[in-house]
Amino acid sequence: MSKEVRDLIKLHLPDYSGSRFGNLYTDTTEFMNIDFSDVIQLGDEHFLVSKNEMERRFGLDDPKYWVKRCKRLENGQPQILKLAFYEKFPMNIGPFKIECYRSPRKEARILDLVRGDMRFMQGYSDNDSAGNNVRVLDIIRGKRLDVWVHNIPVDHRTYFHEHFPEIFEKYIGACEAIKFLHDNDEKHGDVRRDHLWVEYGTGDYRWIDFDYAFELYENPFGLDVFGLGSILIYLVGKANLTSQTLHEYGIDPSMLSSFSPGDYSVIIGNRIVNLRKIYDYIPASLNNILMHFSSSSSVFYESVDELIFDMNNSLKEIRGL
Amino acid sequence: METMKMLIAFDGSENSFKAVEYVGNIARNCSGCEIVILYVERLPDKDLFNDDAAWEKQCAENEQAIKDKLAEAEKKLVSMGVNPGEVMTEYFASCKSPFHETDICSTGRSIGMDILRIREEGEYGTIVIGRRGVSKAEEFLFGSVSTKVVQSAVGCTVWVVN
Repeated sequence: MSKEVRDLIKLHLPDYSGSRFGNLYTDTTEFMNIDFSDVIQLGDEHFLVSKNEMERRFGLDDPKYWVKRCKRLENGQPQILKLAFYEKFPMNIGPFKIECYRSPRKEARILDLVRGDMRFMQGYSDNDSAGNNVRVLDIIRGKRLDVWVHNIPVDHRTYFHEHFPEIFEKYIGACEAIKFLHDNDEKHGDVRRDHLWVEYGTGDYRWIDFDYAFELYENPFGLDVFGLGSILIYLVGKANLTSQTLHEYGIDPSMLSSFSPGDYSVIIGNRIVNLRKIYDYIPASLNNILMHFSSSSSVFYESVDELIFDMNNSLKEIRGL
Repeated sequence: METMKMLIAFDGSENSFKAVEYVGNIARNCSGCEIVILYVERLPDKDLFNDDAAWEKQCAENEQAIKDKLAEAEKKLVSMGVNPGEVMTEYFASCKSPFHETDICSTGRSIGMDILRIREEGEYGTIVIGRRGVSKAEEFLFGSVSTKVVQSAVGCTVWVVN
């Protein structure tokens, strides 16, 4: 097997300087065994594995053994391969625990749906010799939107007046991308800050990771809408402001006395939603959108359509400031 | 005498059985009623299963379980004195059902709206629905069938049973 790998590498990468040659895999069922210097064969294509992707969780790098950083031997292109991993796990949203499932075929279906739409990560899928769905993904060179926003080195007032309008406009575009999924009876399933990336060069906002699935409820899109609202709150505040972290952002903690329970998130009880109480230059039209996600709201957004409509109206007002 | 047509929204839960019992207490002394116990199908998400065969098996099990409960609910009404000839059950299948092919089907977008559509088409004067008692936060994330029905109903009476 090592000889087969060595021969493949010699054929496609004559300048390869590595001295180790792993195994050739046509069946990716046992993905834990596939590692550096192995080759995954998918149909007529071959992918040289360099490492497992990592996910930072609680400050530690957590290897994702089912996600491989690879180089496609036929053209030298770096790719990410996501192997079939039928994981079931709880996802905590505020006080709620939702059973989540990792669904390769959901992600494969969405990749087909969004092909050519650069608001989403791009790729394709194919089955390995054992019938496991393998997704071959283009790598996005960029940075998470929240990290990018966090690193803008200005005070909030400057951020809000000089940077936020463009960010807001692009974010509305990202919400329209989620609307596109909903219109096609799909949902993202894991709308959160680290799944929306800003691509270097183009500056495009791009959604990643579509493999989360969960049982359906009366409003099948409610979780996605909540996720979009959470990101918006972060973007407006340039941070998630909580009753415990105000001082970290130079805000006098005694201001907390002016907050009522209704100023906090309906789901995450210590997250401040009524940001206008802190930054009085935030237009009421924008703050009103945020307040739809507060515990004092009696009307919630049932669809992304409703959210987008209000955001567009607010953007017009902000552009006019 | 005009027929009193009632639609009981039913999902097999304890709360929906309370709605059935509530109707039984009212309708047992009536004549000329038409009572339909309605289940709007919500299929398990296909993405939760590794393959279609496993999904279809679960769909079949779910359907049988609900039909058993619909039959139980019907028996409950009859046992409370409601005229058997005035009670029916309806299983409103999903458009994506692997077993049912029908042009009139549930889209899966909103159970509440499906209930209201059936009410309008069948000209039911009253909807009876159990209330889950969800918190505001739960309603925000997951939606609420009873809230959707109450907020959107037009031209009928809605009884929400706790």
